[in-house]
Amino acid sequence: MFEVRRRSSRVILQLVLFVLTVPFLLPLVQMVIGALGGIGWRNFVVVWDTGVIPTFFRNSAILAAAVIAIVYVLSMTASFGFSKLRIFGKEVYFWLMLAALTLPEVILLSPLFVTATQLHLYNTLTAVVLPLAALQLPFAILLTRNYFDGIPTELIDAGRIDGASVVQTFWHIVLPLTKPIASAVVVLTLINSWNSYLLPLVFLQDRSKQVVTLLPQFFVGEYTNDQTKILAAAVLTAIPTVLAYVLMQKNFERGLSAGALK
Amino acid sequence: MTTTSLTTTTTPGRTAGAAGRSRRHGTHLNGLPWILPAFVFVVGLIYYSVFYTGYISTLDWDGLAPTAKAVGLGNFTKMFADPVFWAALRHTAVFYVVTFTVQTALGFVLAAIMHSRVRLAMLHKVVIFIPTVLAPATMAPVFRLIYADDGMANWILRHVGLGSLAHPWLADGNTALPALMLITVWQWTGLTFILYYAAMSQIEPELLEAARLDRAGNLRTLWYIVWPGCRGTTVSLAMLGFIGALKTFDIPYLVTTGGPYHSTEFLGTYIYRMGIRQAHIGYAAAISIVLLVLAVAGALIIGRANRKGASA
Amino acid sequence: MALGAAASLAMVALAGCVSTSTNGTGTATGGSTAAASGGTVAPKDLSGNVVWWGYTPGSPVNEQYIADFNKDYPNIKVTWKQTSIDDYDAAVRPALGNSSGLDVYQMSAGSANGGVAVFGGSAIDLTPAVQAALGSDWKSKLATTGVSALTVDGQLKALAAGAVFAGTIWINQDLFDKYGLTPPKTYDDWKNVCATFKKNNVGCFVQGANQGAFNIDTLHAIADNVSPGTFIKATRGEVPWTDPNLVKAFQLWKGLFTDGIMQDGALGQMQYPDANNAFMSQKYAMVMMGTWYSQYLIPNVMQSAMQAAGSTDKPFTMIPINFPDIAGTGNTGSLFGDVDYGQGVSAKSSNQEAATAFAVWLGTSQAGQQAIADSLNLIPALKSVTPNWDNVKLVNPDKQQGPEKDLVQRASAVTDNPRFATINADMNQALMQALSTVAAGQATPDQATKTLQQAQQSVG
Repeated sequence: MFEVRRRSSRVILQLVLFVLTVPFLLPLVQMVIGALGGIGWRNFVVVWDTGVIPTFFRNSAILAAAVIAIVYVLSMTASFGFSKLRIFGKEVYFWLMLAALTLPEVILLSPLFVTATQLHLYNTLTAVVLPLAALQLPFAILLTRNYFDGIPTELIDAGRIDGASVVQTFWHIVLPLTKPIASAVVVLTLINSWNSYLLPLVFLQDRSKQVVTLLPQFFVGEYTNDQTKILAAAVLTAIPTVLAYVLMQKNFERGLSAGALK
Repeated sequence: MTTTSLTTTTTPGRTAGAAGRSRRHGTHLNGLPWILPAFVFVVGLIYYSVFYTGYISTLDWDGLAPTAKAVGLGNFTKMFADPVFWAALRHTAVFYVVTFTVQTALGFVLAAIMHSRVRLAMLHKVVIFIPTVLAPATMAPVFRLIYADDGMANWILRHVGLGSLAHPWLADGNTALPALMLITVWQWTGLTFILYYAAMSQIEPELLEAARLDRAGNLRTLWYIVWPGCRGTTVSLAMLGFIGALKTFDIPYLVTTGGPYHSTEFLGTYIYRMGIRQAHIGYAAAISIVLLVLAVAGALIIGRANRKGASA
Repeated sequence: MALGAAASLAMVALAGCVSTSTNGTGTATGGSTAAASGGTVAPKDLSGNVVWWGYTPGSPVNEQYIADFNKDYPNIKVTWKQTSIDDYDAAVRPALGNSSGLDVYQMSAGSANGGVAVFGGSAIDLTPAVQAALGSDWKSKLATTGVSALTVDGQLKALAAGAVFAGTIWINQDLFDKYGLTPPKTYDDWKNVCATFKKNNVGCFVQGANQGAFNIDTLHAIADNVSPGTFIKATRGEVPWTDPNLVKAFQLWKGLFTDGIMQDGALGQMQYPDANNAFMSQKYAMVMMGTWYSQYLIPNVMQSAMQAAGSTDKPFTMIPINFPDIAGTGNTGSLFGDVDYGQGVSAKSSNQEAATAFAVWLGTSQAGQQAIADSLNLIPALKSVTPNWDNVKLVNPDKQQGPEKDLVQRASAVTDNPRFATINADMNQALMQALSTVAAGQATPDQATKTLQQAQQSVG
């Protein structure tokens, strides 16, 4: 966005960026110092030795993938509908969905638990996937709807004039244009699913089904609270999401330069 | 040729007579089947909870006892007379305004910078992003260490000559809330950044070219072209920020537990405290209902203000 | 004969399954108590699957208890489901409504972490099972604090594993020796000790004053110093909070802050992990913790705790001392406590027999209770059990064994000085509020105690 021709402008810009970013780094530094406290690198070994990390990671990944899939598909189709198609009472549907976002998770626990047990879903990942997706969806639709509003209707009409059906128009013309917001939605849903704590805590009983957010449990007791291991676990847990983010960013940038917009 | 919808498996084509009236948004095609799956999914799963909560808000119950006392609107009258409730609302309001403003400004500026030619962009992006994936439960003790009297925050202040400002930040009711707001900004600016970054990529390069040709400087371009171009994102963030502020729980509860003496109490923490710690589920449900009403009302108002602004 | 017995047991257990899943009453119904209430202990070849929910003490200790249990009952499979202490209430609540996935769960006295007043309603009465295990005089064999605190409406809802007592302060003897100091006995002593430490850049006393429960301990200790027993009477409504002795206690509490005994910024810190780590990493020389801290007299437990606090030092010598006589009345050495946690059996459980066998074992058997006693973090519920000092290795036996033995003895002798059992959730909140407003100077002791009394009256 900024055009920087002169060397001095480039330097200033780089400096501004640096100054803005450093405060974000400081708590991370404190965190790493904490993770290396006590027995140092061996904290990571101890965390690894709980033996559950591969399982927990796998479950978190499955959880995230499932939630992302549901949220992506349903938000893209719904936003397309809200933004580009005619619906009687469209806004009512929209606001009703948004209202679902507003209840704090802790209030949802009891009724959701009843639902899960009625459907025999207790102690399954599904019991966590479904409510999580339902809670993320209004958010995702809100974001993507705005984005769809920015896609000119003429494009769609052009497709229709050429004889394509709505679905074909959606698939071949509109969807490729949504790469930026799609990757944003994917990353955000990933973050929220990866960090989900209360729902997995209540619904997942077997160790074989639990997720990474439950890892600190091993190190927190009634009168103990092993900060060094908790922070080491946090560092280990953050790595996959950071990697996913970096990959998404690279992917998204490639999509941009391939002229996806026009 | 014709603009009537061709039948497909997902659109039971319903032509509405009016042919090809292409308004700014929407065609004459029926969009209901497109939104129905999402709608049914969300409403089906969550609305039971909404009605259940509404029902419980009329009870005086601890959540486990087989009998509960029906008190009608009693919980609501108690709530409106409760000074802690109003304090929590006040804190939420201040919190929303400050964090929204700072996060939006920071996220926007950072996204703009990242869209320019800078070195080590990916590194900076990662640093800003990492806070969003760190569980508040894990970071809370870290921040208590940072804000402690002998912690990093005061250390930095002392070393840049602002030692007189050194303070036990979390122990003082006046500074605890600002301290928490800072933590929130740290945690969530990554989110605004990601969204603005995506939005800016949608801005047509021709517009920027035109501005350059008109000799517009960077700041003018930013303010007159990029900022309005990201309007949709800003509005979404305003709505979500509003709902998020109302629901805020993690950071105030985990770092300061709503203290000292309720100076960092939020609606979210109050609901948790009342419902889980003090087993007044009915009262907690009543507060949740008020939260829901406020959230939807607020989002509606923001949306309406946006539409008015857009059509002006 | 054995086959017949096993077959009838199986049928009894099945009958128990069917009947319990259809009614959620608080007492065990039908066949599932036939074995226990008829005066016979659950047979050792009983089999079943039991899921045990709790928040303490954490792996691998719980697995250890289970392994010991399996020596007596090899066919009962117990799975430990851990939640963190803060999330226990939120997580166990929905699980209790389910008939599978939860069989045994922890409860405590008072109002936090599975408070029996709220969560007891979902448990069966364990009296018949305890009677079978210990005989009709079972009440005299178990610590009274454990039994009375976990009895609701005449039903024993949970069996205590053990109790914890507060009122002590733990000091870093090594640091005291280094600067030639002796443990403070009066307020002036305390101020002098702190002055010396401060001169040498060592922290004196640390408390996480943002974590109300421990502030209540401090207040209780001060109040007992001023006038023994008054605090408990106030929590029972027998004495108003505005009683001059209690106002004096609040004044002394405030004094701790204004006289610099409490560390700067105490109100912004939590006891766990902040204050605990500060003490364990030897940044501070004194911390107010109770008998649960005794577990750190054991070398490897101490080393882990220090490492968890980020310190690589060798285990240091810590000893318990009485709360100093800051009121100048001579009333010192008060200890107050209640059951730390007990095991209850869910009325909706489909494995009640096996679950009961486990709960009873942990709370009444010699083997179970000895394991608990030797870990030093609980005062065992079974009166006849004391730590086996020959077995228990200490960091510094010369300096530590004497004070610790004395502490265990005195704690076991306490009969009526509960810690949280008489404070319900709302009063808990009100007390925390009162303590932090006074500490911050936002309210005077007079104002705070008046507000407390109002809260007490509205709660009844």
